[in-house]
Amino acid sequence: MSATLFWIAIGFALWLLGLHGLLTLRHALRRIIAINLMGSGVFLVMIALAARHDPSDPLLVALVVTGLVVAVSATALALRLSSALATSKEHER
Amino acid sequence: MNAALVSLLLPLAGALLLILLRPARSGRWVIALSLGALVAAIMALQVVLDHGERNLLVGGWEAGLAIRFRLTPLAALLLVFTAGLHLLVALYTARIAHAAGKEDYWALSCLLHAALAALWLSADLFNLYVTLELLSLVAVALVSLAGRKAWKPALNYLLLSLAGSLAYLLGVALIYGRYGVLDLALLAQLTEADGVTHLALLLMTLGLMLKAALWPLHLWLPPAHAAAPTAVSALLSALVVKGPLYILWLIWSEIAPVEFGRDAGLLFGTAGVLALLAGGWSALRAPRLKTLVAYSTVAQLGYALLALGLLLLLHLNEPRLHAALWLFVLAHGLAKVSMFLAAGELQSILGSKRVTGMRGASQNVPIALAAFAVAGGSLVGLPPSGGFLAKWLLLQPLFERPQHWPWAVGVLLGTLMSAAYVFRVVAHGFDRARPNPPSIRPDRLAQWLALLPALLVWGLALISEPLLLWLGGLGR
Repeated sequence: MSATLFWIAIGFALWLLGLHGLLTLRHALRRIIAINLMGSGVFLVMIALAARHDPSDPLLVALVVTGLVVAVSATALALRLSSALATSKEHER
Repeated sequence: MNAALVSLLLPLAGALLLILLRPARSGRWVIALSLGALVAAIMALQVVLDHGERNLLVGGWEAGLAIRFRLTPLAALLLVFTAGLHLLVALYTARIAHAAGKEDYWALSCLLHAALAALWLSADLFNLYVTLELLSLVAVALVSLAGRKAWKPALNYLLLSLAGSLAYLLGVALIYGRYGVLDLALLAQLTEADGVTHLALLLMTLGLMLKAALWPLHLWLPPAHAAAPTAVSALLSALVVKGPLYILWLIWSEIAPVEFGRDAGLLFGTAGVLALLAGGWSALRAPRLKTLVAYSTVAQLGYALLALGLLLLLHLNEPRLHAALWLFVLAHGLAKVSMFLAAGELQSILGSKRVTGMRGASQNVPIALAAFAVAGGSLVGLPPSGGFLAKWLLLQPLFERPQHWPWAVGVLLGTLMSAAYVFRVVAHGFDRARPNPPSIRPDRLAQWLALLPALLVWGLALISEPLLLWLGGLGR
């Protein structure tokens, strides 16, 4: 149980760190990384909860996989938007 | 259930085909598709009213493991609402091409329709997360169609909305860790008032409030909605913010333990009143027409939030407040579509984005100004519009319980604010001393298409009796 609690605490810490980064940083790329950090924190909590059972809870693992797909596509959209924004700023100069 | 699935799959298949085939007249296809989805949704509503709630376990897995779709009367009504609004916006956009931004609008608006339909039908917390995320991604892509100026608000919208979803997802993970189920119906029997549940509900609520742009987490909404192309602003304000609101209502009316109801009710009620005041004030001071309409969305969501808060304060046993909440959603959706389309029409014909640029609109663009005023009348709550009915239902329970009447002051102030910002635009419209000449020839049909949703919202009063009966049954 203590291992589960440890990883859940780490997950929460990552989530908070990411949230702090998102709210305080201005650079687009850093904010995208901050969002991904938040996502990793949530997935860590889910995996820690799944690992309580042996074998690990398949439903939670399936949820993490789905969540990863969502996170990857959202990151792709964010990266595309931020790179488009950066090139349009260069044109203006 | 089959009809509801058709109403979900038609726009989904349509979106994929539009992306793959890129037909010449996408607009006509989308009108046909959304009309089909509307008919299917009406059939689904008919079925669910005759035979009661329907369930579908996707893939034939057992309950708890399968993705469960649930068709309730409210979900069916929201399906009709979504398909209807999509149809109204598509009719206008097919006529006025620049309202869409780019040709990609058509496929994306169909995807938006499908994502919302899936959201209304979902019945477990994780599935709701997936549909919510799908909805935000499509909404961000739609905002970015407006070109360079919209990219910055779109990116900001995307990042904040992702933060909201991740807060919600963390709450969902905690709920699953505590109870081992995600299905709403199963959770409703299990939840207890303990620390983990409290934290999970707090995280989910904050995440959803950020995504629905509920005060004080609304700051991303006005830039994003004002920067988007006209048709997109209409869809975003009328439909997209209602998705997270629906989930918030599901969580608090179905799975939250009653012990938390009082605190949450106070929080929602206060945030609702402050949203009415702050949103109304910002709308009153906004220099640009579309920003004004976007801030009015923030203010109007305050009514829905206030209805939810009062519902929790009265321990969920006041069916009129359920009805008031959903009538606000329906009336605001129709009125806001009309208002944004009219604002887009006024902007492009008068060639000015500023509120002061609307001078002389009553001479040059009378029908669009009428659409703006009629839709505004419903937002203010003039009888016999849908907005009036909703406000009446909200106030009635307050007057019967003297200890809750101070909330009515909030409603009164909000009403005065919305009247002020609507009349601010209309007064400029009737300023005929120095009219702003039209820069392009007005298209009468497009203006009528913008007026149509506003007329529908005034017609809501005519069908109010069956509507109120269905909506009143939601609390059971």
